[in-house]
Amino acid sequence: MPGLTSESDDLAMVPVSPDSQTQPVVIYPLRHGLKSQINRLSISWACGNTLRVSVFPKPPQFDTADGSGDGEAGGGRVVEVKLSNSGDDKEVDAARWRRIAYGSVTPFALLQSRKHSLSAASRMSLDNPPYKAEWWEHVIEYSKEISSLLSDRKPPPRSIIEDPKLVVNEIAEPMCLKAAWELLEIFYVDKQSQSWIPERLLDWLADNNSLFSGTLPTIHSKLVDFQQELGGVQVVEEDPNYWEAMSSALAVGWLETVVKLLRLHGSYRFDQLASRETENGLVEAVAVLIYKMPRMRPSLREENLGECYKTKPDFLKAWEKWRAQISKLDCSSYWFQCDHQQTREGLKILIQIMLGNPSILSNATFNWMELFISHFLYVRPFTAGLESMHNLAKKCMQSKPVSSPHKLFGLILGILGENTEVVLAECSRSFGPWMMAHAVELLTAGSAHAEILLHEEHSKLGGVSIEELHRLVYAQVLSSHALTWQIAPIYLTSCIKQGIGLLENLLYKQPVQHSQILLKSVEICRLYELDTISSNIMRIAGVHHWKHGRKGSGVFWLQQAQDEFRLNRIAKQLFDFMGKSVSDEGFKQWEGLIELLGSESRTAGGLEFLNKYRDFRRSLLQVNGDTPTDAARNAAEALVSLMKNPSTPQRFWLPLLYDSLKLLNWQERLLLNVSQTQLLLNKLQELSMARLRPDFVEADLPSDALSSVRLALATNLGRAILEE
Amino acid sequence: MANLQVHRFPQNHYIDSLRWLPQLSAFQHHIILASFNPESSTSSLQILNTSNQELTFQSSLTIPSRITSLKTSQNPNKPLIVASTFSGSLLLYTADLVNGSLEYLDSVPEKEGFHLGRVNGIDVSENGSEFVSVGEDGRINLVSFVGGGLSYKRVFDSNGLVSYGAVKWASPVEFVSGGLGFGLQWWDQRRPGGPVSQFKANWTHGTTSGIVHSIDIHPSRKHTCLAGGSSGTVFAWDLRWQQQPIMLSGVGIIDLSALSPSESDVWEVQYDNYTTSSNYRNISESRVLPAMICSEDGILAVIEQGEEPVELLAEPCAINSFDIDRQNPSDIVCSLEWESIAILTRS
Repeated sequence: MPGLTSESDDLAMVPVSPDSQTQPVVIYPLRHGLKSQINRLSISWACGNTLRVSVFPKPPQFDTADGSGDGEAGGGRVVEVKLSNSGDDKEVDAARWRRIAYGSVTPFALLQSRKHSLSAASRMSLDNPPYKAEWWEHVIEYSKEISSLLSDRKPPPRSIIEDPKLVVNEIAEPMCLKAAWELLEIFYVDKQSQSWIPERLLDWLADNNSLFSGTLPTIHSKLVDFQQELGGVQVVEEDPNYWEAMSSALAVGWLETVVKLLRLHGSYRFDQLASRETENGLVEAVAVLIYKMPRMRPSLREENLGECYKTKPDFLKAWEKWRAQISKLDCSSYWFQCDHQQTREGLKILIQIMLGNPSILSNATFNWMELFISHFLYVRPFTAGLESMHNLAKKCMQSKPVSSPHKLFGLILGILGENTEVVLAECSRSFGPWMMAHAVELLTAGSAHAEILLHEEHSKLGGVSIEELHRLVYAQVLSSHALTWQIAPIYLTSCIKQGIGLLENLLYKQPVQHSQILLKSVEICRLYELDTISSNIMRIAGVHHWKHGRKGSGVFWLQQAQDEFRLNRIAKQLFDFMGKSVSDEGFKQWEGLIELLGSESRTAGGLEFLNKYRDFRRSLLQVNGDTPTDAARNAAEALVSLMKNPSTPQRFWLPLLYDSLKLLNWQERLLLNVSQTQLLLNKLQELSMARLRPDFVEADLPSDALSSVRLALATNLGRAILEE
Repeated sequence: MANLQVHRFPQNHYIDSLRWLPQLSAFQHHIILASFNPESSTSSLQILNTSNQELTFQSSLTIPSRITSLKTSQNPNKPLIVASTFSGSLLLYTADLVNGSLEYLDSVPEKEGFHLGRVNGIDVSENGSEFVSVGEDGRINLVSFVGGGLSYKRVFDSNGLVSYGAVKWASPVEFVSGGLGFGLQWWDQRRPGGPVSQFKANWTHGTTSGIVHSIDIHPSRKHTCLAGGSSGTVFAWDLRWQQQPIMLSGVGIIDLSALSPSESDVWEVQYDNYTTSSNYRNISESRVLPAMICSEDGILAVIEQGEEPVELLAEPCAINSFDIDRQNPSDIVCSLEWESIAILTRS
């Protein structure tokens, strides 16, 4: 590996992305703290976005036999490096991204479940008309919800007393992501607005014009500049910027801004009204015409001006009437009586814009998008169909070429060109996995071509469709973060081909030592009926807890996993651990665990012994010299059943019998009959045989324990035989 | 609920736990919040101020480890805030409500034989100076705050044979712990050496069992312990009828499934004094007082024995913790898994 020859304490990792020209290289220093020279590095993914780097020093030199190893001989270090994803997008910070991710879960899940129930109802496809209409409704609702999510920042309250000089009204700060989403909604989803797409685009540009200001000259930035200037200007109508600002705003249909600016005209002032009556009349006439501009749309947004017409014939009639009024004003004789040159010329330009003069429109706009909108408004208000829009856009681009195109422009051109591949590529390149996973729903709903393209399964993608691919990619992104991994299952389970497999991977990767995460994983398994995975996770958790000395938790989780095999295995270890304590004071500690094991009902495996042993112990504890014989009899019964039980480990046989000496030697009467005593003697015999085996572990009992038990049993047998 | 106002406040970090602090005035109410930022892997305690349906940040302190449990004492002027951590320590802070600031008092560090690994639960005694802590390591410790410093003593050590998940004081000398297998243990400091009484669920049939995540004991009924845990299970254990728990909710229980507001883990239970304040005395001694729960499947609800639960919130994500204000039980604050807080006002 290059770059590892340095002998410095700290290495640095330098990830180099393919387009490192545009993105600065990020350096993550590794504090591994090894003093000796690094020999080998091993890098693997840990949880989420964390890389696990194992650093191995040079193996110790065996010829230096003086033992001068610095305490880390042969031992490497493992460091974890958290890769931040802050380089992604400056527009949306990590916390905001997560909020968007959280917020889109419910709409997405709802849409998927509706899709399922609809396709179940329509048996085959969503193409049957009644279902298709219903599906549209659902997609629109989905789109609106996602869209509202992207603008959760509330707009600042509009001041009640309006500042007459406030030209640019900065409402909520626009976001490229939202702007892109709205474009998709306009063109693919909102079928009702198909007839007034130009007007929707106009609204869209009005909301998002400032987005382009960074990279391009825009009307918005022009207005912002003028706004600043406005404060210091006394006679606005003599300022050429005043007229330019108005013509630009008018060109893209920001009628309210134009009217507001016109009203700042000096001829409105009381002291001048008399002397500039004609001039003021002309200004007002233009303002009224702007007020009355016909718009082909169902309704206007608050504050916007114009008169709405819902149908094409109505609009056409109004449009022609309006144009006639403008022409009439244009030819009016009042213009000759207007002395103020700037006013005259400025108003004439506004009239030319409304009459759709192409060269004036071109002068008033700063980029092709603005020119495009102005053509819709004043030159070709009946443009319909993507093809003619696309042609118009191309024409506008020729007259106003851009050197560095904005990412939204690429998206618009892809949409207008009806090129789904371009739209997908632009979305993916500019807006990332979230956009891809969620926007696919809009594309497939809105275009048959896109639907085929996105739903077709590709063998080179491992048999998944592009739609599924993007969901999987997004789910991977979610999985890489500690706070969002738990919403990835929602996306994974919507992927028919590979979703469940990846969900299994995701669940297995979660750290089981963290009980909250463990419970979360188990909950996810419950929701998606992944019982096998659930048992496996619980088994892993059980073994983990067991290994770390939390025996109770280990037993609990193994029980939950119904893993009898491991319960039997750990039973052996547990009895080792118990060792001598089976008969001493420390047994108090075991009570809790035995409680946990419960009685018959649940899997206890070899641990069943503990339960019986506890019962035996309890009855034995109640037995002392002056106890009634009944209690002693119970204890004896418990002893026999314990010794009969195959799960009772051999090593406890002798301690059990030794503990029970007082029962065997019970004076008042005999507690064990012949067969019972014989059973115990047989066990003792078996034990003597077992002692010959090399792996036998001697119980920690007095040396005479065996002989005293044997004696007691023999005596008991004698008594029993006599009695019978 | 006749009238319920809900306000949600997004935060930029995960909320491990939150509590109301004693109310200073009618217009100002403080919340203490334990948060975790996964980007920087830092945890902090924050004081937030709520007034006029707005939530404002007041101060924050970085803390050494993630919080597993957060409790407050109710001294109105300088409330104590005690927190247990993932790493096995206990931290003690005090809040200055006038300035909205936090001050570190003392801690019991890990590695001193206090707890090994996570401390799962803590509780503050009524007088505010004694804390009991339980851990997954099976240790139970008593921590006293005397003379400005903390000192602790071991009550019990199961050596990992049992893990505890939650704890609650019942009286100055008694407390209840809970954990695996829906088990509860009643401890009495006058009878050391082990629990004086144990309860183990026997209603779970088949092979599944569960964990107790939270316990509450009402000051007026110290013999009854309310516990909530896995599978939407909420039950009350009355010391006087030890073998018969009173089941309030849970999916595994016949006759109760229909009444269970939640099917997954109940993260926190608290007696809800709001509903009882008016007809408190009408509730007979044998009935369990109404309780509020929050759950993994996003439910915040009030449950009452034998009645339909009243759902206050149904969120698309888990509700991790909540707190009912002690002085003003109409106010509830809860933390949502998706990095936000909800404040509810009942009227």
